[in-house]
Amino acid sequence: MTSTRTPTVRPPAPEPIAAQPRRTFLGLNREALFLAVPALIPVVIFSLYPLLRGIYLGFTDARAGRDLEFSFTGLDNYATMLGDSYFWESFRIGLVWAFGVTILQFFASLGLALLLNQRIRMRWLARTLAIVPWAMPQVVIGIMWRLVYHPNAGILNSVLKDLGVIDSNVEWLTSLSLALPAVIVVGVWAGMPQTTVVLLAGLQSVRTELVEAAAVDGANAWQRFRAVTWPALRPVAFAMTTLDFIWNFNSFGLVYVLTQGGPGGATRLPLLFAYEEAFRYGNYAYAAALGNAMVIVMAVFVVLYLRRRLKEAD
Amino acid sequence: MKSIVRRATVVTAAMSTGLVLAACGAGDSSGTDDGPVQLTFQALAFQPESIEANKEIIEQWNADHPDIQVEYLQGDWASVQDQLVTAFEGGTAPDLVHYESSYLQDFADRGWLLDLTDMISDEMKDDIRDGAWDAVTFDDSVYAVPFLLDAQVIFANKALLDQAGIEVPAPDDPWTWDEFAEISRKLSDADTYGVAWTLKDPANRILNLALNFGGEFFTESDGASEVVFGDAEKEVLQRIHDQLYVDQSAAPEAIGMGGSDPLPGFFDGQYALLPKGIWFRQQIMDQAPEGFEWVTIPALKGESQTQAAAPQTVSIAAETEHPEEAMAFLEYLLNAENQATLAKGDWMIPASEGAAENEVLTETPDWPVAAASGAILEQAPFQTVRGYEEWKNKVANPAIEEFFANSLSMDDLGSKLVDEGNAILERYQR
Amino acid sequence: MRVLRSLSTPGKYVALIAYLVFLAFPLLWLLSTALKTPPEIARIEPTIIPENPTLENFRVAFEQQPIARALLNTVVVAGTSALITVVLSIPAAYVMARYRSAVSRLTMLWVLLSQLFPFILVIIPLFLVLRNAGLYDTQLGLIIVYVVWSMPFALWMLRSYVSGIPVELEEAAAIDGAGKLRALREVVAPLLVPGVVAAAMFAFVSAWNEFLFALVLLRTPELQTISLTLVKFIGADGVARLGPLAAAALVATIPSLVFFAIIQRRLVGGLLGGAVKS
Repeated sequence: MTSTRTPTVRPPAPEPIAAQPRRTFLGLNREALFLAVPALIPVVIFSLYPLLRGIYLGFTDARAGRDLEFSFTGLDNYATMLGDSYFWESFRIGLVWAFGVTILQFFASLGLALLLNQRIRMRWLARTLAIVPWAMPQVVIGIMWRLVYHPNAGILNSVLKDLGVIDSNVEWLTSLSLALPAVIVVGVWAGMPQTTVVLLAGLQSVRTELVEAAAVDGANAWQRFRAVTWPALRPVAFAMTTLDFIWNFNSFGLVYVLTQGGPGGATRLPLLFAYEEAFRYGNYAYAAALGNAMVIVMAVFVVLYLRRRLKEAD
Repeated sequence: MKSIVRRATVVTAAMSTGLVLAACGAGDSSGTDDGPVQLTFQALAFQPESIEANKEIIEQWNADHPDIQVEYLQGDWASVQDQLVTAFEGGTAPDLVHYESSYLQDFADRGWLLDLTDMISDEMKDDIRDGAWDAVTFDDSVYAVPFLLDAQVIFANKALLDQAGIEVPAPDDPWTWDEFAEISRKLSDADTYGVAWTLKDPANRILNLALNFGGEFFTESDGASEVVFGDAEKEVLQRIHDQLYVDQSAAPEAIGMGGSDPLPGFFDGQYALLPKGIWFRQQIMDQAPEGFEWVTIPALKGESQTQAAAPQTVSIAAETEHPEEAMAFLEYLLNAENQATLAKGDWMIPASEGAAENEVLTETPDWPVAAASGAILEQAPFQTVRGYEEWKNKVANPAIEEFFANSLSMDDLGSKLVDEGNAILERYQR
Repeated sequence: MRVLRSLSTPGKYVALIAYLVFLAFPLLWLLSTALKTPPEIARIEPTIIPENPTLENFRVAFEQQPIARALLNTVVVAGTSALITVVLSIPAAYVMARYRSAVSRLTMLWVLLSQLFPFILVIIPLFLVLRNAGLYDTQLGLIIVYVVWSMPFALWMLRSYVSGIPVELEEAAAIDGAGKLRALREVVAPLLVPGVVAAAMFAFVSAWNEFLFALVLLRTPELQTISLTLVKFIGADGVARLGPLAAAALVATIPSLVFFAIIQRRLVGGLLGGAVKS
C-alpha cells in the first residue's frame, strides 16, 4: 500500500543483526560474505594446509631423509609419548612456566596500562619506553639477559650486592632451582608490552563519563575500577590472557637462547623438546605428535577457562 | 550502500587475489643457462679475519675460473642446524656446506651429502692428517673434507704463574693431570681460584678428555653400540669433581659458564688457569685489557694426551647439479696454502699437514703448543655412534651437569648414562 | 571534557618510573655497550658510562654487514605485512563479531588452531608450499607468510574489540537516519581505532622480529632482514662480538620504537563520550 503523505514517520527499527533470513551461504548473506572471504583465500593455502599437514604428520612415522616414504601409524607415537619421562618432565615445566608468566604478566601489565592511561607529562615517551622489550629482537634479548644474570660480571648481582641484599654472587641461570624462576622473570619482561598495549587499547572503550559519574557519587578508585572499568575491559582481558597462556606454553625462542633447556633440563619447555626431536634427531613424526598433544592440552585448558569466565559474566 | 560495500569488497578481494596470483606467477625464471656454472658456498665464519680469508679465496678462484663462479653465503652457528635441515628437506641447500663432523653421520644417513670417496685427489688425501680423515669417514665412505681442528689446552695468567714460581711447560713435556691438580692447589688463595672449568654442555668435552685415560664410553659389537661406564670413564669426571669440592681449587660459579663467560673473571685475576679450546686464543686477544699477560699451556697428559679429532668440515650437497665443479672448488678451497689462512682466521689447527708449516701460522702466539696439539688428535669411539646426539642432549649433558653441581652421585650418574642411554641407542639400531 | 583526574600523587610517578626502568634498561645497556671497546665490555665491574666512548663498533657493524639495506628490507616487509593484515582483518572481524554463522565459527576454529599448534613444527611443510609456489628467496613469499600468520591474532583481537562496542550504537545511528555504512564509518570505526592500532603494532613487530622463517626462506644477501643480519655477529658456543652486535641491535630496535611513538597517539579514547544519549 503506498502512502501519499510525505514520509514523516520514522523508518522501522532495524532488524536485529544476528537473525539474517534468506539468501545465506553458511549463515552469511552476500554482503557479509564479500567482507569476509577475501581474507580467507591465502589463508587456506599458506596456513590451513601446512597446519593440517603438520598435524597429520603426528600420526605417521615420518623422519628426516631424502626421498623417504612414510606411512600412517595411527596412535603409535602417542603410545610412545605416554611412556616418555622426558616428555612428562618438560610438560610439567611448561605448565609451571606458562602459569607463572601469564599470571604475573597480566597483573603487571594491567597496572602499567592503568598508569599509561592517565594524563601524565611526556606520556608518549613513557608509552614508547614501555614497549622496548617488544621492539628488541629476540636474539639480542637472550644475550642481554644472560649478561644481566652473569654470576660475576652481571649487573643484577652487582646491584644486589651494593644494596646489601646478597653477599656473594648468585648463579641465576645455572642453579638447578633458580633457573626456572629467573627465566620466568625474563618471560614476563618480554611479554609485558603486548599485554599492556592490548589492555591500554581496551581501556579506551571505557565510558569516561560513567567513571566521572561514579567519582561524583563518591566511589573511590578501586570501586570505580570494579564497577565501570573492569566490565568494559573484561572481554579484551580474557581474550588476551587466553592468548598469552597459549603463547607462553608454546614459547620457544626466548628460553632457547637463554638456557637451551638447561641446566640439567630444568628449563626444557615442551616446545624445546619438540624442536630437538624435529631438528636435531630428525623425528618429524614424533615432534608433530608432541605438537598435537600440546594442542589438545591447551584446548582443554582454554575451554575450561572460557567456560568459567562466561559463567561468571552471566 | 550495497554498492559501496560491493566496492569495498572488490578492493579487498582484488588485493587478496593479487597476492595469490603474484605468488603463483613469481616462479623462478629458469631459462637455459649457457653461462658459467654457478655454485653457492655457505660458510660459518663470523670473525672479520675469517670472513676476509674466505672471501679472498673465493675471489681468487672466481678470477681464475670464469666458467665456474662461486657465491659466498654467510651462515651462523646458532641457527645453521635448523637452516640446513629445512634446506635439505626442501631441496634448496647450498652446493658446498661448511659444518662440523659430529653431524655428518646423521646427514649422510639421510642421503643429504655427496659421497666423496672417489672424488678426492691423492694429493689432498696425503696432505690431510689421517686422524682428521677418520672423523669424516663412515662405513668406508668419506662425506666431507676436514680443515679446522680444535684441541683442549689451558690458558694461564702469566703474572699469577710467575708469582707462584710455576714454570710454563714445553709442548714435549706437558703437565700430567696429577701435576695439574697440584699446581691448581698452589695457585688458589683467598682471592683466586686455581682453575675455572666452564662446564656448560659438558658431555663433548668430558668424553674428549676421557680419552687421556682410555675412557671410551662406548663399545661396539655387531654394529650395535652400547654405553659403558667403568674406571677409565670415571677418571676425568672424578678429578674435576675433586678440584671443585675436595681441593676447592676450581671455581664453583664457573660450572654453568660457557663460551666467553669466564673472561671477566680471568682478566680480573680471579682464575689463574682456564681450560679451553685452542680457538679461544682469539677471544682472549680481542678482549684482554692492556698489559694482561697470558700463555698457553699444552694439553694435559693422563696415560696419554689423546683427544678426539672433531674437525670443521666442508661437504657437498647430494642434490647439487654440478658435483665435479663443486669438488674442483673444494680441492682449491682446502689446499695446504688456503687451509693455513683459514686456520689463522679462526685460530685453529689446520687438518692439512702442509698448512701447519706455513709461516702465516707459525708466527701466531704460542704456535708450538697449537702445532703439538694437532698430533694428539684421533677419532674417538663416540663419533661413530648412531644416536649419540640424542644421548648427549637428553641424558649426558643434564646428568653430567647435575653431577658437577653435586646433586648426583657418581654411581647414579653411571646408571643414568648407561641405562637411559642404552634405551635410546637401541632405537637407532635398526 | 575532563578526562580522569591527572596524576597528582607522587606514588603513581614512582610506580611508573619503576616499571619503565625494569622494561627499558636494556636500551641503556645496548647504548652503553655499543660505545665501549671490547676490553671494556669484558670487564668484571659493569659500567654504564663508557670510559673511552668510541664509534668504532658502529663503523665495524655497518662495514661488515649490509645493515642499512637490511633495515630497508625489514621496513618494507614488516610495514607491508602490517598494512595488509589489518586491511584484510577488519571486515572479516566485523563479520565474525556481528554475524553468527558457520563461517564465523570455522574461522574461529582456524584462529585457535593456528595459535595452539607450535609454529616451529609447521615450518617445513610451509617452506615446501612456498618453494613449490616458486616463492623461495622472495620478499613476497615472506610477506604472504607474515600476513597469513598474523591474521589469526588480528582477527581475534579485532573481533573482541568489535564485540565490546554495543550493537545499540549502530542501531541508534541507524535510527538517527544514518545508513548502515555511515553507521560503520562514523560510529564503529572510530571506536575501533585503538584496536586497529594494537593489531597493526602486533603485525608490524612480529614481522620485524621474526627470524626462523626468514632464515630458511631467504638466501640472497641483498634480501636479508635485520634479524638475520644480527646473528651474523654471533659465533659458536654462544660467543658474540658484543660491541658490533649492540650497535647493530640498537639500530634494529629504534624503528619499532619510532613507529610506536607515532601511532600510540591513537591509543586514546574520549571519542565515545556523548555518542549515546541515554
